[in-house]
Amino acid sequence: MKSSEQSKLVVSGVGVTSSIGQGKSEFTSALLEGKHNFSVMKRPGRQYSPSQKDNVDNLQQSTSFLGAEIPDLSMPDSIPKGLLRTASFSAQVALATLDEAWNDAKLHDVDPKRIGLIVGGSNFQQRELVQTHQAYQNRLPFVRPTYAMSFMDSDLCGLCSEVFGIRGFAYTLGGASASGQVAIIQAIQAVESGQVDVCIAMGALMDLSYWECQGFRALGAMGSDKYATEPALAARPFDQNRDGFIYGESCGVVVIERSSAISRKDIMLYARLSGCGMGMDGNRNPNPSLDGEVDVIETALNQSNLRAKDIDYINPHGTGSLIGDETELKAINLCGVSHAHINATKSIIGHGLSAAGAVEIIATLMQMKAGKLHPTRNLHDPMESSFNWVQSESITHKIKNALNMSMGFGGVNTAICLQNL
Amino acid sequence: MNKEQVFEVITRHVCEVIPKLEEYQFKFDDSMRDLGANSIDRSEIIMMTLESLSLNIPLIEIARAENMGELASILHEKL
Repeated sequence: MKSSEQSKLVVSGVGVTSSIGQGKSEFTSALLEGKHNFSVMKRPGRQYSPSQKDNVDNLQQSTSFLGAEIPDLSMPDSIPKGLLRTASFSAQVALATLDEAWNDAKLHDVDPKRIGLIVGGSNFQQRELVQTHQAYQNRLPFVRPTYAMSFMDSDLCGLCSEVFGIRGFAYTLGGASASGQVAIIQAIQAVESGQVDVCIAMGALMDLSYWECQGFRALGAMGSDKYATEPALAARPFDQNRDGFIYGESCGVVVIERSSAISRKDIMLYARLSGCGMGMDGNRNPNPSLDGEVDVIETALNQSNLRAKDIDYINPHGTGSLIGDETELKAINLCGVSHAHINATKSIIGHGLSAAGAVEIIATLMQMKAGKLHPTRNLHDPMESSFNWVQSESITHKIKNALNMSMGFGGVNTAICLQNL
Repeated sequence: MNKEQVFEVITRHVCEVIPKLEEYQFKFDDSMRDLGANSIDRSEIIMMTLESLSLNIPLIEIARAENMGELASILHEKL
């Protein structure tokens, strides 16, 4: 990001769908109250159910993965019902969430050829695929023709561009758990370069099946052995008793454009995107890198022309991972930003994986607007007591400069600075 | 199952794919194309109908149907 240009980039619209609410106002009030919806997951295809097989050995394989699911998805009337029949759950949530952001930024008044869409995430429709494979296992000749369209992640681009009339560009991009932020960084670059006037960045809902849940558990990334019977206690980033991330369904959409180019009336600007950084560790594995995290934080600060002491709020990646949380706190310390207020959005909504980076940027923007910081659930015994944690209750604080981080498997590090307007 | 019942299965799936036709009174000489079904919609409706009827036949055999009534007749013969 060139410093002469960066001050002009703003967020002009948001949309969010999560386990604690659909739409920014429901989401924000639940976030500030620290409401949650963690339980043993119930959505079809999320648990391995032994009744599916008659093999007695399978009875011992039943699962009870914990997570936070979206309770009721409400679809806007403007979205054609005929399309929804063949749209995956990820796609339906994407359409509903984009609808909010689209109206928020009044994009119907923008030349559709000057609007781009970047959908962050890859392989995010796994549960739908498992459901289809299971349903047609013994009826292969009857597989629906539309499966050839819907199995692709890029179907979200097709659906969104058809429903909203986007004519600039639309593509998906993968950055594991940093996908949402990578999409935002790419959207910043698309507006900066003049490729489009408005770029929409989405963190798509990663719809895990029991296969991915089992894989994450086997890897030691997903909790919770400690809190298997107490789902409400399982998501606990930065707590001494954390034992891995707890999944949460979510989707976030952020609209990015230059403030100087906005001629539409009554557009609420959320914040300035003052700087960002992205870097790879050169490591295929899930383990984090202190150097990699420090680098992107410093890049984001430098691009923002900010000193470490100017940051007064941090929305960290904070998953509840044993090594991940530890490394992140070290990076915050090394970068000299440990004085800032810090909380963990994943303690309330869980880890949205591909969606997390975008949803947490929205959580930051909403806290900025509200003048309040949300609590961190289950942070009873913080790993670093010297940090400025927001623990059990929300606090009043007017954010000036926020720092937001995401990390993804495969050595992906991202950081974004947001400045209150 | 008689031809009328096969026709009802087809119309049920047409409505699933094109919800705005839910109130429409279907006739044998209706063409799915004229009712607004594009080629993807039509192949989807045919596959759903074949599945409902447990009919595993080559799609080429139903390609000659000119309207929904003819489609019902061809499928009925294969039952």
